[in-house]
Amino acid sequence: MGKVKIKRKSTLIDMTAMSDVTVLLLTFFMLTSTFLQKEPTIVYTPSSVSEEKVPMNNLVTVLVSSADKSGKLDDPTVAEGKLFISFTGDADSTLSSEKIRGLMLDEAISVYNDQHKNNRIVLDENQKAQFRTTNMIGVPFASLPKVLSMSVTERDKFLGDMTNPEVGIPIDGNKNRDGRLNDFQIWLKAIYNVAQRINNDQTEGLTPEERAQVSNLYTALMRKGQGIAIKADKDTPFTTVQLVFDNLQTMKLNKFSLMTALKSENEPTN
Amino acid sequence: MAQIEQSSGGGKKKKGAQKKMSIHVDFTPMVDMNMLLITFFMLCTTMIKSQTLQIVLPTNEDVKKEQQSQAKQSEAITLILDTEYNGDKPRVDAETGKTIHNIYYYEGIADTTFSTSKYLQKEQFIGNMNHEAQGIRKILLNKNKEVMAEYTKLKEQWKNKEITKEEFEQAAKKNASDSLKTRPVVVIKPGPNTTYEGLINAIDEMNINQISRYSIELPTHTDTLLLKHFEQQSGETIIRPTIRTNSRAAAPAAAEEEETNS
Repeated sequence: MGKVKIKRKSTLIDMTAMSDVTVLLLTFFMLTSTFLQKEPTIVYTPSSVSEEKVPMNNLVTVLVSSADKSGKLDDPTVAEGKLFISFTGDADSTLSSEKIRGLMLDEAISVYNDQHKNNRIVLDENQKAQFRTTNMIGVPFASLPKVLSMSVTERDKFLGDMTNPEVGIPIDGNKNRDGRLNDFQIWLKAIYNVAQRINNDQTEGLTPEERAQVSNLYTALMRKGQGIAIKADKDTPFTTVQLVFDNLQTMKLNKFSLMTALKSENEPTN
Repeated sequence: MAQIEQSSGGGKKKKGAQKKMSIHVDFTPMVDMNMLLITFFMLCTTMIKSQTLQIVLPTNEDVKKEQQSQAKQSEAITLILDTEYNGDKPRVDAETGKTIHNIYYYEGIADTTFSTSKYLQKEQFIGNMNHEAQGIRKILLNKNKEVMAEYTKLKEQWKNKEITKEEFEQAAKKNASDSLKTRPVVVIKPGPNTTYEGLINAIDEMNINQISRYSIELPTHTDTLLLKHFEQQSGETIIRPTIRTNSRAAAPAAAEEEETNS
């Protein structure tokens, strides 16, 4: 009997083509996508036919958290309606996000301290630096020093816990117009003041380019209503969002935008 | 592909010719690395670019009655929004998987004598079907047909490249606020159970139908009265308990009675 010889085949596979494909895919992803901004909670915005893009620069985003969807909580609504705020400056670094956040923080703190003469808050340089590098934050002013002293991981964990009563910018007591502003209104006032003051050329330490940039922010905010965008979940009750609207109206910011996803006109609405 | 064959190119081997060499580059690690990078990009980035919807709200300070702008009765249409709930989550349609929103609408002044059957009618957001407006869109379209006729013409011109996009947008804006045409005034009243999506849908319908005059208000006692009567007549449950009883917002149903536009 003759032995059957099994030919040994080489197991080498040519990977060049595969490599080509993956590089192409990689290029595609790198060019078309934008990085996710770190946000404490995920919301699914409703869709609309509006084709206006969210501005990349000079934007204040107000995030309204939705009710808990994981089903782990006994009362999912405790997680609802927490407010977070995020400031985006100019990507071209004439007036970077860091700088804008610094200006806003200083202004907001001074407005707050003006109203709460007995419990002033004081932030050190380190805490301010922490604030400048955080994309989105939402805590009462009284908790700011504590939260800004945390490490980044600790802070993310802290802000991500929607059941914590210390998370979310307080928005109650809107109707008390003559008295104190609530924390959310203080932020809005700070935004308004910063935009207007620099527009009137009164802030020291800014280069002419930066000044022009803030003036753009002012125009976007006050005239066109593109400066403030509200981001809320589609299943959030209107009453919760209405509260945010109401506060904006009280602060005379009657023009603003709502963040939505795109859908076609022919698509059946719900 | 990845190997470079170096052959001396002829039959005979010359003296001093170099040895046949095969240079093989293994691309597997390269592919591995690329795959990792792709995974990273897919997880950390988003392709969805958000859109924005601009809205302008009036001041929320008390405005004197004389200063309130009055709409003509024939032009006014009021939409009361409502979202159906299943437990504490919005009820979704089993087929389409979308939330069910109801709209109760009336034209002109609220008819509290219920003299005609049109004191309140029920509609839904259906959108277009076979390129025909359906549901509430059809009603709004009819109300605003003078503007929409012109708008369709403009759109046609733009599609035929007779005018540029900018010209089209400008003309459309001018057309939507053309005071010579009969244009409706829409009052959107989101009820206490309406979700944010319901409101966005309603604003969307305004944009689709080129309605330039609309306002967002809270429902009044009159509206509740109409809903109650409608509920009795149709036998449907319309007024459900407010889902967010612990909501920090004041319940819109308790809003003060306002002067109806007349």
